Amino acid sequence: MKFRDQLRFIRQNIKKNKIRTFMTILATAMGCAFLIVLASIAYGLQESIVEDTLEQQIITQIDIYGQEDEKGNFQSLTLENIEYLESIEQVKAVTRRNQLRQMPLFAMDDYEAETAAVAAHFPSEVASGLTLREGRLPENRGEVVVGSHFIKNLAEVTDENIYDEETGEIKEGYIYQGNLVDEVLEMTVINNDDEKDSIPLKIVGVLEAPTREWMQDKNVYISDKVFSEVEKFTGTPGGELGVDPKELDSTSIETFDEVKVYADNLEAVQGIADKLDEENYMTYSVVNEMKQINMFFAIGKAGLILVGTIAIIIASIGIYNTMTMAVTERAPDIGIMKAIGANPKTIKQIFLLESSYIGIIGALIGVAVAYATSALVNIGLPLILETAFDESLPEGLQFSSIPVSLILISVGICLLVTILSGLRPAKKATEIDVLKAMRREI
Amino acid sequence: MNKEIMLDIKQLHHEFILGKKKQQTRISVLKDISFQVKKGEVVTLVGKSGSGKSTLLNLISGFIHPTRGEIWINGSEVSTFTEKQFANFRLKHMGFIFQNFQLIPSMTAFQNIELPLILKGENENKRKQMTLDMLEKVGLKEFGDYYPSELSGGQQQRISIARALILEPPLILADEPTGSLDSETEASLLEFIQQLNEDLGITFLIITHDEVVARTGHRTIAIRDGRLVESGVSQ
Repeated sequence: MKFRDQLRFIRQNIKKNKIRTFMTILATAMGCAFLIVLASIAYGLQESIVEDTLEQQIITQIDIYGQEDEKGNFQSLTLENIEYLESIEQVKAVTRRNQLRQMPLFAMDDYEAETAAVAAHFPSEVASGLTLREGRLPENRGEVVVGSHFIKNLAEVTDENIYDEETGEIKEGYIYQGNLVDEVLEMTVINNDDEKDSIPLKIVGVLEAPTREWMQDKNVYISDKVFSEVEKFTGTPGGELGVDPKELDSTSIETFDEVKVYADNLEAVQGIADKLDEENYMTYSVVNEMKQINMFFAIGKAGLILVGTIAIIIASIGIYNTMTMAVTERAPDIGIMKAIGANPKTIKQIFLLESSYIGIIGALIGVAVAYATSALVNIGLPLILETAFDESLPEGLQFSSIPVSLILISVGICLLVTILSGLRPAKKATEIDVLKAMRREI
Repeated sequence: MNKEIMLDIKQLHHEFILGKKKQQTRISVLKDISFQVKKGEVVTLVGKSGSGKSTLLNLISGFIHPTRGEIWINGSEVSTFTEKQFANFRLKHMGFIFQNFQLIPSMTAFQNIELPLILKGENENKRKQMTLDMLEKVGLKEFGDYYPSELSGGQQQRISIARALILEPPLILADEPTGSLDSETEASLLEFIQQLNEDLGITFLIITHDEVVARTGHRTIAIRDGRLVESGVSQ
């Protein structure tokens, strides 16, 4: 018997019991939709969290905090470590910074700003992707570049209250309005005896604003030489105050506060991170975080799919019931078909196909309903939550997401369960006694 | 095996087992039945109710398996067949005419006749043509779209015969084919069977307790209490 004819048989049979079949399809559709919507919450939240994490991180960046020695003690990173890190394959750049351990005062004409001074290695910063909004990179000892938000800290010297009470920021009218490039800043540092030292620095460039809107860069990037001058003046490493130079082994910093490794591409990050782990470097990268997030959500999704599958199993009881009734009702017809030469395998195929047909139609309707419900959840739930708790939710937060993989998993589960539920009735159909069936004794 | 023999029954014995496992009773319904039907013969099988004639037909049809003995149809020992083998054999070599027609009520006359062709896997165009030809042959060309419930008993039996003939089987087994028909329709149907036998050379084994039907055959076999008692040429 051809497949096309089997389908024709099924359509004819379904027509005979439209309501019963419709209700069974409805139950299957509801089960399938429930599974998809339930799991879509895990998918949606995972997507939102991953997106949010990626937005806050440069994905090719690996932060390195230090290295554990053989005894498990923390060791800060030295130039030797930097050279090793630069030698690793697929490492694009290794940036290293040291922040002055006191907050210098920067003055320019009638304006001044108290902000951090950072000694950076500019060639590696440029290699890592650092760009200037204007000007150029420093070439001499006394040249500096400033962060994009430095100007917002550069306020007029006055006795008036220059801060906005609401935002805590400096009022617009007191902020320096001119061009910073080629201006000279006086950096004033102090030592433990409260003596002051002023170092004139020429601004040669302003950095591009950080890619994240919420990040502010108010730093002044000084050269290693100026950093060393401050150390010499204070007699302490990094110009730190409140420590007695006599008690220190060294008066200068031989290590780096902040070291970041930049990989050529995202695919290389994991390999580099693994290599660094082997060498006992203490690292953090977005890949580590992604791994943990994905693991957490994989468990969550599996759990939710399992719960959703229970709904489909409940629906399959309906299919089993429908198919069992169909077999009983059609027993005389099955008997006649067997009498004239229908193969038991053909009879089984027809009933299995019928339960699969119900499963497929149910699953397709379920998918459509799930998409509609998912859209409603994404539109409606934020409105409800915002109204109920009077708080705005993070922008782009997605409660429900239905990827193609979820559809395939759900339809697959739905089909499998419906075929399994149709197996017993189909087998029962093949076992129908021809004589009893033709005598209408079944 | 004689090529001229269509049906060869050898020392066939059948028992029904009644009751539950511990209190089973064996009832012997057919005892040592042996007979042959030649190709192209119309043989009638007569006997009183309960004599075992329907059981014999069910054994030949493969609906039940014999306790002992052999059944050969068209050179194949069908008594050793599995259910699947017998299903395929029935489709290709046997046609059935039942007392109460056994048409599928939800199918039209056309669809009922077409059913064996569908089971065989014939293509749609060929099926349509063959079914229309057969409807014409049984004189019901205009009734293809009718459901069995809309047809008379004689018309339903003709549809049943058409279904049995559609695959041109060499052997047709008929169980009381005129049992549900009036005498006029019965006569017409018997004439039709004789005509089919003469025109197509189809072998018929007809079970009946009707003397008129019994006389239609070339030969009559009688069964009494599960034993073959008489085998003779019809008048």
